[in-house]
Amino acid sequence: MNIDITGAKIFYTFPYDFPVLGKFQITETLVVSWIVMAIITLLCIWLTHDLKVENISRRQALAEMIVETADHFVVGNAGEKFRKLVPFIAALFATSAFSNLISLVGLRSPTADLSTEAAWAGLVFAMITAQKIKSSGLGGYLKGFTSPIFVMTPFNILSELATPISLACRHFGNILSGIVINALIYGSLAVASAALFGLIPGAVGRVLSQIPVLDVGLPAILSVYFDWFTGLMQAFIFCMLTIMYLANAAEE
Amino acid sequence: MNTQELVTLVPWTIIAQLCNLFIQVLLIKHFLFKPIKAVLEKRKEKVDEQIRQAEEANAQAQAMKEAYEKDIAEAQGRAGEILAAAQKTASDQSDRMLQEAAEEAAAIRARAQSDIAQEKRKAVNEVKNDIGGIAVEIAGKVIEREISEEDHRKLIDEFIENVGEAS
Repeated sequence: MNIDITGAKIFYTFPYDFPVLGKFQITETLVVSWIVMAIITLLCIWLTHDLKVENISRRQALAEMIVETADHFVVGNAGEKFRKLVPFIAALFATSAFSNLISLVGLRSPTADLSTEAAWAGLVFAMITAQKIKSSGLGGYLKGFTSPIFVMTPFNILSELATPISLACRHFGNILSGIVINALIYGSLAVASAALFGLIPGAVGRVLSQIPVLDVGLPAILSVYFDWFTGLMQAFIFCMLTIMYLANAAEE
Repeated sequence: MNTQELVTLVPWTIIAQLCNLFIQVLLIKHFLFKPIKAVLEKRKEKVDEQIRQAEEANAQAQAMKEAYEKDIAEAQGRAGEILAAAQKTASDQSDRMLQEAAEEAAAIRARAQSDIAQEKRKAVNEVKNDIGGIAVEIAGKVIEREISEEDHRKLIDEFIENVGEAS
């Protein structure tokens, strides 16, 4: 039994080497991200074609429900002044959820690449910081690091930096662990079925032991938790924390 | 094919994913939020319009109702006045008729009494004339002849008979 868990595949590397950034690579992460974006966009277009004011279709009712749910989620948790952030949060949730769930069709989740979460968490951190500076001024923001006493400054800076890191690593860790556990389950069940059917003597046993029969069924049940539940949960948690951090930043 | 490290940060991927997220926000805004918000807004306007129309109709109905009630109250007042006037007229008329009847009855009685009195006077006069005539006649007859017992009786009878005829 050998299980090979690697990072995203690199499809193409541009030859030019940038000073700090290095070479631009078309990776599996980016390609699947584009697929996810295409799926979400096509879904939006399908949901919103042929809209009517009254006597609406179920499709339109679903689209309106999604929009209103996003509205309530953001405005209800963070207040009216964050209404313009609704499309951002909706896009973040949709991208995260679809990226997590796309592993169900055999593609590698873009969220199984720490760079993706780092990008999102970095953006959220920038928004939180901007919101803090906006609500209490640059001086107030910097002064906030010395509270309650000056000695706490390093710890405050650490806790501030911990926000994006924990945000990114939480999401990444959950998705990666799902992939690792999935690979382990598939591998171990293949070994188990080989051992089980190897007990059958003769040619029949040899042929059957090559087919991982036990891989059918059980992993699908486990994927309800590791793919569906974790995938949707992490997308929800990421968005919820983003809103909460922003709302807290606005209160100070 | 080459692969990345399992846990690694690639600057270009971070930048690309930021751009992807940004583009995704724009796409979702344009293809989901804008049309849905527009249709929700349109529906809200329509509902507001309908509510406004309903309120207008309600106010109109209220005004009409008030006008009707006023009219009805006026009509009722007028009817009461007319009824009172009619009752007054009727009672006046009946009073007058009763009075007239009483006056007429009194007049009739007075006339009847005066007639009776006149008749009585006339009768008394006639009786007086008759008695005078009879007395003259009797006197003439007494003078004319000796009156026997028989004649006397006869004369009295005749007199009485004549009185009875005259009366």
